Amino acid sequence: MSEVLLEIKDLCVSFDTDDGVVNAVDGVSYQLRKGESVAVVGESGCGKSVTSLSVMRLIPSPPSKVLGGEILLNGENLLEFSEKKMRSIRGNEIAMIFQEPMTSLNPVYTVGEQIVEAIERHQTLKGDAAWTKAVDMLRLVGIADPDIRANEYPHQLSGGMRQRVMIAMALSCDPKLLIADEPTTALDVTIQAQILELLREIQKRNNMSILLITHDLGVVAENADYVVVMYASKIVEKAPVDALFATPAHPYTKGLLASLPILGSDKERLDTIEGSVPDPLNFPSGCKFHPRCSIGCKDKKCQTQEPPLVEDGCGRAVACWHAKL
Amino acid sequence: MIRGAKKITHSDWGRSYSQMVSDEFFKNFINIISLAFIIFLFVVAVFAPFIANDKPFVIKIDGALKFPLFASLNGVDYSTLLAALVGVVLFLLHRRNIKKVNPSIRGSIWAKQVGVGVVVLIVGITCLLALIPSKLDATDYKSKLKSKEASFAIFPIVPYGFARTNISEREEPPSKKHWFGTDDVGCDVLCRVIHGSRISLSVGFVAVGISGIIGVFIGAIMGYFGGKVDFVLMRFVEIMMAVPVFFLIITIVAFFPRSLLNIMIIIGITGWTGNARFIRAEFLKLRKQDYVQAARALGLPLHSILFKHMLPNGIAPVLVSATFGIAGAIFTEASLSFLGFGVAPPTPSWGQMLSQGVSATGHFLWWMSLFPGIAIFLTAVSYNLVGEGLRDAIDPRLRKAA
Repeated sequence: MSEVLLEIKDLCVSFDTDDGVVNAVDGVSYQLRKGESVAVVGESGCGKSVTSLSVMRLIPSPPSKVLGGEILLNGENLLEFSEKKMRSIRGNEIAMIFQEPMTSLNPVYTVGEQIVEAIERHQTLKGDAAWTKAVDMLRLVGIADPDIRANEYPHQLSGGMRQRVMIAMALSCDPKLLIADEPTTALDVTIQAQILELLREIQKRNNMSILLITHDLGVVAENADYVVVMYASKIVEKAPVDALFATPAHPYTKGLLASLPILGSDKERLDTIEGSVPDPLNFPSGCKFHPRCSIGCKDKKCQTQEPPLVEDGCGRAVACWHAKL
Repeated sequence: MIRGAKKITHSDWGRSYSQMVSDEFFKNFINIISLAFIIFLFVVAVFAPFIANDKPFVIKIDGALKFPLFASLNGVDYSTLLAALVGVVLFLLHRRNIKKVNPSIRGSIWAKQVGVGVVVLIVGITCLLALIPSKLDATDYKSKLKSKEASFAIFPIVPYGFARTNISEREEPPSKKHWFGTDDVGCDVLCRVIHGSRISLSVGFVAVGISGIIGVFIGAIMGYFGGKVDFVLMRFVEIMMAVPVFFLIITIVAFFPRSLLNIMIIIGITGWTGNARFIRAEFLKLRKQDYVQAARALGLPLHSILFKHMLPNGIAPVLVSATFGIAGAIFTEASLSFLGFGVAPPTPSWGQMLSQGVSATGHFLWWMSLFPGIAIFLTAVSYNLVGEGLRDAIDPRLRKAA
């Protein structure tokens, strides 16, 4: 196995809101090896984006606060870095692509200019050399006529092209870790496949690690090596991708997989997980999933005691009283 | 592949946001007229000594040609001409950039051009003010022409000086000789209105420039950082806003020497609160935008995020409020001058002339109030119309609602 690039240890992040303190991320730990893809899956508001923003140290503070834990990049704790040192890490060692390609590019500059700015910030290339590199990056991400496109404004490009530009910008400084926060959610399906294919290709070429934040299990199955399932600010299950899809252990993961459409089945309606995401200000007692769980809603233990995340020693872990690994 | 390669032609370039706004602005006839009037005012202000002057361009005295008008120009006149020249050159360069320069390098080229322009202006004005002494040429060239001492002379269109008194022609109503009449010491009112435009325009520009810079800086910090910084600065803004500005200005003017620069600075440092609040509101909205997050995720330095990525997207309301601010500053200066706190006579200012409408003898000399009044009115209306046009051009939603 290759060495560990990023390790998140027991991360806790809270938000101060008008109604009280919200624990957005509660004791989350996972690691990412070099060249590996880890997917973080979960419903909206489960803390998956906050975790990734914490890695970048981009969570707005105030109102949010990192209460504890460590984020180790190559063994160094990012949470202890000065803001200046962090700026030299962002974009250079860790790059990020966002969900909305339509709004992630600055409308007043041409796309070439925006890529050049990132290159000039982190590399020694300046002026025309940086421009050449920017055009090369656009070519690499599969944009036709990159030298013409580089001179265009974002509003002249389609959503898929803008996402390619975002990827080109993120990759322009050869980062070791790419955080992709729902990179294909806003794109239509054919473009999604192209973008994911592109990410895989570049990952292989650069031996880059990808932290993929998504709620699309199809994307996970195709792209990830390891999956972290989050529910209500905690990790409920961690597993290598094949094991997770073959034998999901946690009822929530089972529910997620059951709600996927299967091609060729004659089911009239898709399965859903009953209920909705709990209010973060007022989490249920015991296992946070118990009100929506077919076993947990009847079991006293699930309702009163929170299950710990139990590891099996082969890379799988689950937090459920009734799950057997 | 280098930047600005020939292969890419003009038609391939995208239209930038500012180009789209200016297209929208020039679709409206009223906007064009208002802007044309402001440009006309600027031309008048810059060339005031050539339009209204009691010294001839050329005069032949004792068989020798003399150029008293050019000889009498002082450092301020030359500085104004230099500033106008730099402005026109920059404007033409900007037009050329849009047509000839690749959009990806347009910004950096334009920044360099403006930088050179500003350096030329600062160095030029410093040298001009230091090197050219102000001469007093009190010669009455018209009487020389009458007394046949001089054989031939070419005078400007309005052949009167703004400080040239003529007691025999005092308080005359408009006539063929004096189109706007004369004031209580026999000065030509038209000449004084023309020279007064310099004061009004420069007050508007410098005061709004100062308040704009302070407002944008403080507003940007408030909006971007939010939280405690925002809270403290916002209270400071509120304190500033609670002070009755006009009375503060009157108080300050009473303590400091009556100079135009003082008035500009005072109007500027009391008028930034509106701009700060506009920029703050924009930045609060912009800092959550994905491209600002993306800029931070790229590790760009703070000044680049604030002033390169956020400011161009949030400057629009400030530009609009600046045009209204110019009109406001012109009003403030006119009010101060009307009350006698403005620039010291004989330097003409529109507000000061308004106040002279009622003479010491108690007569109401309507022409002395009417013409400067019209000038103030038209200038303020033009600036307001330009501001409104700009606002509509920037925000198409407002147009639909209207």
